[in-house]
Amino acid sequence: MSSRKKFRLSASRVTLLYVLIFAAGISSILVASYYLTARVLDREVDAVIRGEVESLVDDYRRGGMLQLIDTLNRRADNWGRTGAVYLLADADGNRIAGNIGRWPNRLSSNGDWVEFEIDASEHGGVVAHPVRAHLFHLQDGVRLLVGTDILERKRLASRMRSAMLWGAGLCVGLATLVSIGYSRGVRRRVSEIAATCENIMRGDLSHRLRIEKASDEFDALSMTVNHMLDRIQQQTEVLRTTFDSAAHDLRAPLYRARVRIEEGLQHEDLPPAARSTMEATLSELERVQRTLGTLLQIAQAEGHGSELAMETLDFTSLARELVDLYQPEASTRGLTIAFSGSDSAQLRGNQQLLAQALVNLLENALKYVPSGCRVDVSVKSNKDSVVLEVADNGPGIPPEDRQRVLQPFVRLERDRPKSGSGLGLSLIAAVMRLHRATIELLDNNPGLRVRCTFPAN
Amino acid sequence: MRLLLIEDDLQAAEYLIKSLREHHHEVTHSADGVDGLEKATSQRFDVIIADRQLPRLDGLSIIAKLREKGDRTPVLILSALGTVDDRVHGLKAGGDDYLTKPFAFAELLARIEALSRRASLAAQEVTRLKYSDLELDLLARRATREGRTIDLTAKEFQLLEYFMRRPEQVITRTMLLEGVWNLHFDPQTNIIDVHMSRLRNCVDKGFSKPLIHTVRGAGYVLKDEQP
Repeated sequence: MSSRKKFRLSASRVTLLYVLIFAAGISSILVASYYLTARVLDREVDAVIRGEVESLVDDYRRGGMLQLIDTLNRRADNWGRTGAVYLLADADGNRIAGNIGRWPNRLSSNGDWVEFEIDASEHGGVVAHPVRAHLFHLQDGVRLLVGTDILERKRLASRMRSAMLWGAGLCVGLATLVSIGYSRGVRRRVSEIAATCENIMRGDLSHRLRIEKASDEFDALSMTVNHMLDRIQQQTEVLRTTFDSAAHDLRAPLYRARVRIEEGLQHEDLPPAARSTMEATLSELERVQRTLGTLLQIAQAEGHGSELAMETLDFTSLARELVDLYQPEASTRGLTIAFSGSDSAQLRGNQQLLAQALVNLLENALKYVPSGCRVDVSVKSNKDSVVLEVADNGPGIPPEDRQRVLQPFVRLERDRPKSGSGLGLSLIAAVMRLHRATIELLDNNPGLRVRCTFPAN
Repeated sequence: MRLLLIEDDLQAAEYLIKSLREHHHEVTHSADGVDGLEKATSQRFDVIIADRQLPRLDGLSIIAKLREKGDRTPVLILSALGTVDDRVHGLKAGGDDYLTKPFAFAELLARIEALSRRASLAAQEVTRLKYSDLELDLLARRATREGRTIDLTAKEFQLLEYFMRRPEQVITRTMLLEGVWNLHFDPQTNIIDVHMSRLRNCVDKGFSKPLIHTVRGAGYVLKDEQP
């Protein structure tokens, strides 16, 4: 579960990174093209003005001030058609000739180049028109201003800016959508693969990953995983048939041996020594039979869980029933068993295996918890889990051995003298795995607390 | 009792037949499924004992074919499979009882006896059970003996009812676990014995004669004289 969450984060992070890179790229292209275009336009305007100034200065040199005024007056009529602005003013700023009234007040200058605004009536209102002009000093403080109305150019630039902003926004938005869609797709396929794998881990090897026929990396991965699963299934099948027939082949002779000994024991005139030997052999056979049965159950819980009948059952009443069953035996051994539980704890599971797991827990308590101690069994039903706890105040299990004892045939050194196969806890662990429950061996200070947590129904 | 044993393990079959005959049963043997089905349909038996895995026709198919024909002869299935759900499958297929190999002969014998009398008291809807001087009122959940009320817990009452419905039959410990606790496993401790000794304390202590007896190597029986 946590790995899937981690993946979700990494997919979003990749998406975010992708969108950021894309946004940076598209903005730098648009900004660069905007400035280039603006510069070309500026230069064009400047070239036209410079040409005008040159021709006017030429007129002045050839015909003096009068010729210049005459040319300016002729040209001033052109206002509104080409957007040309002329002004010849004396040292005090009063107009001598030109098409604007007086010397502009606020003008920002950059050497001989100036920019200012003039008011012009347009569509019945007054609009401020920006003007770019070149300043030329004639004799006696007389100045010549030649410029162009650059309102249209400014409008064009602002239109270009907003078009570019919209374009960039749209591109980034689209890229975001596309990458969110893509990362969703990736996440969906990964979740699908994870869900299938979880089913497989629960023991159903028949599941396969879906191939989407998109011929993408996921299909390639799915196909490889499916091939791997085919191989594992084959091997498991071989192991399982071997195990099943081995178990069967062991059971048949055990059965015959048992029938034979029982038959022998029926003879009344059996010497006592022979009888006790045969009875001991019979109980050894029973032990082998039990171990074999437990191994078969473990194999079944681990290997082919999906074939088992699962039903909805009340775990509280199952546990209470079993505690009641073991109570009298426990009290003859000087143990107190107490049960406490929620009213009902609904669980989906295999009744027989769950009962067997509980029985193993209780029999372990009976076997390993010394007389005079107590065992508390509890079942608690929460919103999202059902928790079984079996806690005693006996000798407990050292922390370093707690994980180990869940494995088959592992027994603690101190328990060697007691009979047992070392399979009880392994069966419990296998049954818990089958039910997607967790088992924890905890310290009860003193004693052992076994906690099994089932996902709620 | 007339019994039909369908079992392909000849060695095991031989011992079983011999032991069953020693207990005064009439045994017909068949070593494969097809022959077994033919014998089962052509003759009348009290109980059929069929191995689950048989050559030519398996045990569950034999039961299915018999039930199809309306034959309700009780069938006890023997199986070496012994996996968790086999019992459920076996009983679903129409089998009446299920034993996993290897089993104690006494277990088999007790179950055959129980099956043959199954139709009698065990399944009947009664409100009152009476055996000797012991009486159970199933509605009031009350037990009386010689007119005196016996104090029993709910479980002890259930346990006693199981015996009262099967008087004079040998009941094994696993039969009690299955019938009273609905549990199918082989306990490693003698949990049933403790329950039985408590029950006997209530039912027999302080009365003229014991009604519940231990049958050595098999289980218990409810009987008003020494078995």
